[in-house]
Amino acid sequence: MTSIGGAYHDGQQLLELLSVVSECSDEESAAYAAVERAARALDAEVAAVVIDDEVAAVVGFPVGRVPADDLVAVANRELDNVDVPGVGRCRAISADWGGGRPGHLVLARWGEQGFSVEERNIVRGMARLLELALTMLRTLQAEHEMRERSERQAAENAELLVSLQQRQRLLEHLFDVQKAISRRRPLPQVLDMIASAARQLLGDGAVGLWLRDDSDPQQITLVAGDGPAVDTGPVTPTMPLAEAGTVGAAILSGRLVVCEDDSADGIASMAAPVHDSGTITGGLVVLAERPGRVYAPPEVQMLQSFAEHVSLALTDANTVDRMHQAFHDSVTGLASRSLFLDRLAHQLELTGHGGSRVALLFIDLDRFKAINDTLGHAAGDTLLTITADRIVAQLRDSDVAARFGGDEFAVMLRNVSTPVDAAKVADRILHGLHEPMRIAGRQLQVNASIGIALSTHGMTDPAALVRRADIAMYRAKRNGRGRYDVFADEMLLAFSDEPLGH
Amino acid sequence: MNMDARPDGRRWMGVGQSSTTDARTAATQAARTALTGADPKLLIVFSAITYDPALVRAGVRDVVGADVPVIGCTTRGEICAGGANDGTVVVAAIGGPGFAVTTAAAENVAGRQREAGEELGRSVTEIPNLPHRVLVVLTDGLVREQEQIVRGCYGVLGASVPLFGGSGADGWRMKQAYLLSGDRVLTNAVVAATIHSEAPLSVGVRHGFRPVGEPMIVTGSRDGRIQTVDDRPALDVYLERLGAPPEAYTEKEALMRFALPRPLGLQRRNSVDARNVSTQIDLAGRSLGGGGNFDHGGLVWAMTGDEQSILAATDAACQEALAGLGGREPVGLLTISCAAIRAILDDEALRRDNARLAKWAEAAPFAGFYAYGEIARARGIHGFHNQTLAVLALG
Repeated sequence: MTSIGGAYHDGQQLLELLSVVSECSDEESAAYAAVERAARALDAEVAAVVIDDEVAAVVGFPVGRVPADDLVAVANRELDNVDVPGVGRCRAISADWGGGRPGHLVLARWGEQGFSVEERNIVRGMARLLELALTMLRTLQAEHEMRERSERQAAENAELLVSLQQRQRLLEHLFDVQKAISRRRPLPQVLDMIASAARQLLGDGAVGLWLRDDSDPQQITLVAGDGPAVDTGPVTPTMPLAEAGTVGAAILSGRLVVCEDDSADGIASMAAPVHDSGTITGGLVVLAERPGRVYAPPEVQMLQSFAEHVSLALTDANTVDRMHQAFHDSVTGLASRSLFLDRLAHQLELTGHGGSRVALLFIDLDRFKAINDTLGHAAGDTLLTITADRIVAQLRDSDVAARFGGDEFAVMLRNVSTPVDAAKVADRILHGLHEPMRIAGRQLQVNASIGIALSTHGMTDPAALVRRADIAMYRAKRNGRGRYDVFADEMLLAFSDEPLGH
Repeated sequence: MNMDARPDGRRWMGVGQSSTTDARTAATQAARTALTGADPKLLIVFSAITYDPALVRAGVRDVVGADVPVIGCTTRGEICAGGANDGTVVVAAIGGPGFAVTTAAAENVAGRQREAGEELGRSVTEIPNLPHRVLVVLTDGLVREQEQIVRGCYGVLGASVPLFGGSGADGWRMKQAYLLSGDRVLTNAVVAATIHSEAPLSVGVRHGFRPVGEPMIVTGSRDGRIQTVDDRPALDVYLERLGAPPEAYTEKEALMRFALPRPLGLQRRNSVDARNVSTQIDLAGRSLGGGGNFDHGGLVWAMTGDEQSILAATDAACQEALAGLGGREPVGLLTISCAAIRAILDDEALRRDNARLAKWAEAAPFAGFYAYGEIARARGIHGFHNQTLAVLALG
């Protein structure tokens, strides 16, 4: 189960890091929480934050024996391993961040295999989030001190106070948004929250988030917004990208665009692109309330921050969608091929230690293509759904059924002693499927061919078992369809000089 | 009962067990049987909650002087070769010039778990010519957030020392577990022994559960508990997924019984951790919790286990621990198993599990107990477990 879970797990790590770090009240505790979380996420022995060539936080070394020079060297790409007491030499990687106070997140892990590309990406993502969180905490801290001072001289410094209070509000809003994302609040709610926070802080007429249409990327649609211009906007807030003014320019250029004097109606605006998993998918735009508005650099930064949070929310929401898709077949609701193979691998590992075996049934509908071609795809889908229901009806709760694609299904039976046990299930499935089905106003009768294969002692590769069941299924088809055959070793020989196809 | 200690001159381990009703006599008998070699360095005592811990301590002291360190805890059942599983005292002794031991204890642990772990971590020293070390930690299983104790140890020790141990139990009464530390009986505490050895010390751990159905996403969590999965109340989704009987939805006792052998699986990078959700029941709020924090957005699975899967885990944990000895025969094994496994394995099945441990131990003795949580860290940073078997092989 771990390959799919692992991939999903990667996506979660950024959010979990964000969630842990956003609970911290100062930079030091945030950096320590982050290294502990990063080490846990990657099953690593060591994690460290290096800032200004000094180790700001580290976990994995005995106290007093932190090889600071080596960690700094890893951060600076001068070294790709560190010696970890009790473990030995561990492979080490580093991800950097820039900005006002550049830093590095360093990870080291024991083992033959180094960090995969996906893991390196996770570490990079964590570094970026850490930068954001540490910068915010630092600013909050500094401004808190300044505010205490300035409150004492409030009379002569009213203007500074207002500005500081406003920036503090920005940080508080962003923390709220981060929490909402990590707590998986519904996406529209998170986007509305960002739009409303942006409008409050920038004090502008309207804020809009426009996303490219899935079907036509040259069109953009308003998905969230705040302000009168939005409330009274067009009924269908969709427009061609090329005519979308500032937001269109931001999306096309991939950069933040500020437009203060030449907008069509004389109203200033600025827009920043937003990303989903690294691809530009839209833009966040603010429109001024009245002519003559000028955007100061901190305000431009504010918009950029809000746009980054939109990107985070979009990427996360789609990760969840993709995860669901990866696990389910959209037509039948059965397990997907990848989930099935994952589960099969897990079961093979379990049974490798015990006495019982795993049986795999590979089921192929006979002449499905003809039905699909004659009655259409909708009828084909209905047929697949009924087939799935009838297969599942013959199984125990502990068995797993999957659609492999097209007209191919697979079933995993746990705790099977002999091929006879599996054959009984195959026989029931064949009978179940042979009952007439009412599809597209017609009475249809469907046959299937089933191949059966049982795991052998020490078998750990799920693909090997699937291949054996597939070969047995092909034999069943050749032996006259509407029947099952049990895999035997000699079938491998018979197939060695003819291609597998059905 | 006398168990083979395989003394080899440099290092030995012996195990004794007694079911005599009188606590002091039982402890004395078990300790005496465990002392199969000269120069004892540590006695580890696993005692049924039915014995008065003060008398158990006194009984052990009747056999060894104050110069021999003693640690121990109460249990949800004791483990040793062929022995009964309840109502006994099991003592494991190690000794010989090839071992050295130092012990430590941290008290008033609740509310400062991480700090307590740090204290134990700081007690670990190095001894010339004994390059292999392990920190054996026994906790009060009724203190919450045990994971923080392990994190505290790791924060000080880093990866330099493997961690092993378990949470002391109280026979499922959920009232009070006791720890032994030298001449003291402690509660709300953690006790530890650093074993230094000439030969490798190796830790293995496995759980014996498999996921049921598709994974679920934690869509809401608060205070380390899961409020919702897939946007629905977590408890209800969990019960539905596992086909729970109606009473498990409404009655605390029934829910505890149902959840005990059915942990919640928490996706980690390369594995799924099993978490016991039967001890922190929340019928009103329909949330799930237990065995450590659950984070937002995590991937969880409903899990179930049977004798086959648990025996497979026993094999794998023993194999992993023994593999770390670099081809040496063990002088003994410490085996700490989860109390929840006893909800799945009846007495007959427990005997088969015990026989499986004996098969891996071969001639070496083994001893341990059924715990409210297991500690095993050999690789990575993660070291606190639920529903597992943790094995320490002493080379």
